[in-house]
Amino acid sequence: MLESFLKGVVIVFMRRSASLFGIILDRCDVIEKMNIKENIAGLQDFYILSIKAPLGIFRRPFYFRETIEQMDYMGTGSVFIVFLVSLFIGMALSLQISAELSKLGLKMYTGKIVGVSIIREIGPVSIALSFAGRVGSGMASEIGSMVLGHQVDIMRVHGVNPLKKLVTPRVVSAIFMLPVLTVIGDAVSLFGGYYISVFVSHQSASFYWSQIRDIMDFKNLFSGILKPFMFGYLIACISCYMGLSTKGGARGLRRATTSAVVLSTIMIIISDFMMTRILLFVLGETV
Amino acid sequence: MIEFRDVSLSYGYNVVLDKLNFKAQFHEKIAILGASGEGKTTILRLILGLVRPDEGKIFIDGQDITELSESELRDVRMKFSIVFQEGALFDSMNVYENVAFCLREYTRYPEDKIEKRVRELLNRLGIEDAVYLMPEELSGGMQRRVAIARSLAGCDPEMMLYDEATTGLDPLTADNICNLIKELSTGEPPDRMGFIIVTHKVTDAAKVAGRFIYIRKGNIIFDGDLVSLKKTEDAELRSFINELYFEYNETGR
Repeated sequence: MLESFLKGVVIVFMRRSASLFGIILDRCDVIEKMNIKENIAGLQDFYILSIKAPLGIFRRPFYFRETIEQMDYMGTGSVFIVFLVSLFIGMALSLQISAELSKLGLKMYTGKIVGVSIIREIGPVSIALSFAGRVGSGMASEIGSMVLGHQVDIMRVHGVNPLKKLVTPRVVSAIFMLPVLTVIGDAVSLFGGYYISVFVSHQSASFYWSQIRDIMDFKNLFSGILKPFMFGYLIACISCYMGLSTKGGARGLRRATTSAVVLSTIMIIISDFMMTRILLFVLGETV
Repeated sequence: MIEFRDVSLSYGYNVVLDKLNFKAQFHEKIAILGASGEGKTTILRLILGLVRPDEGKIFIDGQDITELSESELRDVRMKFSIVFQEGALFDSMNVYENVAFCLREYTRYPEDKIEKRVRELLNRLGIEDAVYLMPEELSGGMQRRVAIARSLAGCDPEMMLYDEATTGLDPLTADNICNLIKELSTGEPPDRMGFIIVTHKVTDAAKVAGRFIYIRKGNIIFDGDLVSLKKTEDAELRSFINELYFEYNETGR
């Protein structure tokens, strides 16, 4: 009796809310209403793209050549920028930490703090941000110009699914290449930290490396290597979506490219926080 | 047959098509005329299901395509092929790869068979020497030819759709493209492959088409043959086709 009464109340409440929402929508300015509709439709399209794109590798046709090309572009093409960014981040971090720890007389522990920071946080995030800047913008502008040049339309007319042909190879490549770049970048950062610790801060080289070895445990490595997979997936999905939704000529292309980089950057930082929180909990580490 | 029934489409506040109605047979040679931004290209995109109308229905061979999914639209799209303005060639592929694109995607032909078909088409269109050139190395006319070759390679379309096929070309090259369009649509109806050409170049349209549709503010203002087009009473349309009177007077026709 009580249960059916409560159900009734809930149904009436939901109906009232729905009709109220409908009235609000009706009374809204036409543009706002259209924007709400467009945003909801856009969000739906984004979810569809981000689910279907990685699943594309399990269904024919397979685009191996495109995937290899993208891996080359994303991986080999990004090595230099990753090297530069990582080297200077490692050196700057080592300098700063050495300076602070010197005040406490603990500068011999620079390696430990640099190592944990680089492997768990700064390495994955900084390389993902560089990757978003270089590869994300490239993906959005390339796909965007294909949309504006009707090349995507031609694919659709000839029965080729642009999601499979353009998005799946990019998402798969980003998922695999960003972790590889992160490992390279982490190694370079640690060498940058080593250079500053040993040659500028005059610490023991063997002690620095022994501390790095100490922090190379499962928890740290797992945290550091899991994040780039998620970042790669997010960057590729956001950038491809922005590229595919390009409209409005050169200005539209600029908007799409900027949005791809800005949204990727924001999502990297938010997801990094969320993943750090989850990983700490899962790995049983107390805060 | 293509049928538009009360088709409306807007982009934001801009009403592109307003309850548009028309019917066309696949073997017809139709020119859709109108000023820039009047929704001519949108009509082609609607026929192919690349955009969906806000209101109204579009029937292709009696099938309403407005509710079809992307995979269901594939069979409908096979009836057509389109040549976009500027050709829309894949700029990362050379001419050979562009023309072979549909064959590679659609068929499981061995490479030698694909090559034979590509070379045959390039020969037919007179661009066999450009086989390994990249799109940026081609002139505007050659790009259109490659685009036509590509559109013919993969399937056997019942109707070609040309989006501003002669725009931006010099008169001689535009004339060549017009001749090519005519050549591809020889034969007697209903077996003939028809076309819809969207253009604002009235003289080019007059060279190839038999039926003319003039669009203004999302509505069809005129639908008829060349003779009745030239006799139109509509002042704006007369002004639009002014070039046509001039050319015909100059040539003494």
